[in-house]
Amino acid sequence: MLALQKVCPDVTEARLVEDLLAFIAAGEADEEAFNRMALAVFAHQFETNAPYRRFATQRARTLRTVKSWRDVPAVPISAFKDLTLSGRPPEECPHVFMTSGTTKGVRGKSHHPTLAVYDRSMTVNFRRRFMANPYGGDHDRLRMGILFPTEQAMPNSSLAHYLALARSEFGTADSRYFVSDAGLDVDGAIAALSRAEETGEPYALLGASFSVVHLMDALAERGRSFALPTGSRILDTGGFKGQSREMAAEEFYGRLSATFGVPRRLCINMYGMTELSTQFYDDGNETCPSVKSGPHWIRSRVINPLTGQEVPRGSVGVLVHHDLAHFNCASAILTEDAGVEVEGGFQLLGRADGTDAKGCSMAVEDFLKAARAS
Amino acid sequence: MERAGHLPGLSADAVGWRTLTFRRGAETLDVAVPVLSEAQIAELAARVRTNARTYLRRRTVAEIAAIIDRAVARLLDRDDPWRQKAERLLPLVTGYDAEMVRLGLTGYLKTFRGPELRKFIAEDFANPALLDDFQPMPKGGFARAFGPELLLHVWAGNVPGLPLWSLISGLLVKAGTVGKLPSAEPLFAGWFAQILAEIDPELAGCIAIVWWKGGDEAAERAWLTRADTVVAYGGNDALEAIRARVPITTRFLPYGHKISFAMVARSALDAGKAGVVARQAAYDVARYDQQGCYSPQTFFVERGGRVSPREFAGYLAHELDALGSKFPRRPLSMGEAGSVASWRNAEETKGFADPGRALLGDPAGSWAVAYTDAADGLSPCGLNRTVTVVAVDRLADAVPGLAPYRAFLQTVGIAAAPEELFALAGALGAVGVTRLCALGRMTAPEAGWHHDGRFNLLDLVTMTEIEGSAERAADAFAPYTD
Repeated sequence: MLALQKVCPDVTEARLVEDLLAFIAAGEADEEAFNRMALAVFAHQFETNAPYRRFATQRARTLRTVKSWRDVPAVPISAFKDLTLSGRPPEECPHVFMTSGTTKGVRGKSHHPTLAVYDRSMTVNFRRRFMANPYGGDHDRLRMGILFPTEQAMPNSSLAHYLALARSEFGTADSRYFVSDAGLDVDGAIAALSRAEETGEPYALLGASFSVVHLMDALAERGRSFALPTGSRILDTGGFKGQSREMAAEEFYGRLSATFGVPRRLCINMYGMTELSTQFYDDGNETCPSVKSGPHWIRSRVINPLTGQEVPRGSVGVLVHHDLAHFNCASAILTEDAGVEVEGGFQLLGRADGTDAKGCSMAVEDFLKAARAS
Repeated sequence: MERAGHLPGLSADAVGWRTLTFRRGAETLDVAVPVLSEAQIAELAARVRTNARTYLRRRTVAEIAAIIDRAVARLLDRDDPWRQKAERLLPLVTGYDAEMVRLGLTGYLKTFRGPELRKFIAEDFANPALLDDFQPMPKGGFARAFGPELLLHVWAGNVPGLPLWSLISGLLVKAGTVGKLPSAEPLFAGWFAQILAEIDPELAGCIAIVWWKGGDEAAERAWLTRADTVVAYGGNDALEAIRARVPITTRFLPYGHKISFAMVARSALDAGKAGVVARQAAYDVARYDQQGCYSPQTFFVERGGRVSPREFAGYLAHELDALGSKFPRRPLSMGEAGSVASWRNAEETKGFADPGRALLGDPAGSWAVAYTDAADGLSPCGLNRTVTVVAVDRLADAVPGLAPYRAFLQTVGIAAAPEELFALAGALGAVGVTRLCALGRMTAPEAGWHHDGRFNLLDLVTMTEIEGSAERAADAFAPYTD
């Protein structure tokens, strides 16, 4: 089998894609099934992706030593900036998602030779986690308002693609965007929200958390708030800069609910990353921090970032995700997000960085700031 | 429960207390820190000011130094209950290794003994009597140095005992002193004030050690507007916030976060010397886990010695490993561990593409040395015993790249022959470095060190001058005048 992969990567990639689509379609996976699929994905990445192979080998993780999905070495997301982690040569990948600007101006890239798996992962999961009708059955389509630029405006944004997919697969024909080059279309949003109030049909507002904040600020300025029809829902993603996450989240969802008249259990936060092909969701934000979980083709671990060992259940650590759908790059990634494993998933606790440094020694962030300023 | 602070004239029952909890393994320590009302702040500020005016001003600087010396002596005495308490509780509060804290305290406190205090004063005042009375000046007339009546210190960080530096500086210029405890180590400064109270209650009445929650604008403003001079430590964001609240007429002396590094010349890299140099270097890295502004983050190592820069990185790694078993690193918070991990991951990733790089580290992540052949400049590491070794053809080659960081440079630990030392010192001073010292001494500045190149005592005082004209004119009004 390994020989075959070497000879004919396209064939094995096509087969892997097929296997992954079938895996997603299976609806569930026990430990053994997940393991089998994870090892196949690891083998593919190890064989086709030279930088990843070097990375894994340096950690003594090879096809011989990796026996379980937990052994698959997780690539730190910072490595996506320095390394080209792609099984297929990048020039053969029509889709490239990039992280937004970073402190050093280098953007992490995820190459996708096909979006078949990404899109299936997104739609299957989205239907289950966002389209469910709390009053029975699923909605096939909802009228949507999107607070983010279009895919055309941001061709390298995984979030733009995600939201475009949400609209094309799950939105009604009159769903629309409220963010363009001209900025936030507050009047358009007000008109759509008012119309939803009038028709009584459930409405869905989706977008980046910060755009949602902008909209709420604009509405507050005009003294507007809404009571969206029963079954309406909101999806935000990306979080908020500054402040501690819990504080901000509590305040954010309180305000969200008050501004749009959507109960907090239908204010859903999506946690996704450019370096993944699968998203996590919570079941609303009645309490914060909410519990996030993903579908059966992604599993997460909470580790001590220094030792790589899993922390005892219930302790804070850094999140590692094993996303089998991210087959072309690196399916196992080490995030910079602190989290804790809880019943039914994990809680996100903000970024695991040195903001709590104790001394007077200059830390990386300050130094970079100084370097930029000078 | 340990009560922090020192509040002369305020009864403990009258003030609010807030508990800060410190954990180390299975041990827990609750520290109660005082929370004062605005009225209590006003009362305390007024009392310290009055006491300083009526008592401290009337003591000679020699008398004050003698009292400080006695307090420091008690802290150096391992049989003294205060010293024992410090040895017991500081490791718990700061997380640092107990033996490291013990050695660190002794080394640090020694620099505040009587003779050292005289050096301290002599560094800034050729004639220390200026602090006691008007002294004749070479230009004519007389002058006397007055410290502020109310000096506010805003301390930060968890390096044990650090507040002592500015606290003692203030006392030596006879300033009524209010110090804000750092939440990360809220004990030592209060203990020192209490020891002073046992030796000389009147002196201790000129000192208040207080606390407020960082960012508590009301409390901060209440103190800032009452002080004559403010000395503040912290990151630039924190300092900027403080500065914005300091009245324009108040002298503000900020000490921001700094970065320090080391230089090893090829003259120090023969087989006999390199091992010793690496041991000293490792000590500077391990001491207080690089939390100090004087802790090295990068080592520039010169090519062409018997021991190559790459080999030196190996020596350093070996020594860090050895020190790790003698003085284990303190347990890291998840955020700190994340910083170390992301630095290490980034260094490792760079190595995949570049054989001129290497990362040495232990599997548990308790230290790491990154090595690079590339002409990398100064760069901050992940702290907590992580360093970069940068190979250079000539040490002087590293200097131009430092210029952008002028405002942040502080100590350079250096191993080089005398001629090289002085040649480099000129270049380094010109780009903003304020202290050069031997390797192994980076975290233990000498008594009288000019912190960040400034004057510990002179910066605090104002001079009052009697000009020659006043003196001459006075003659005309003397009873003995003809």
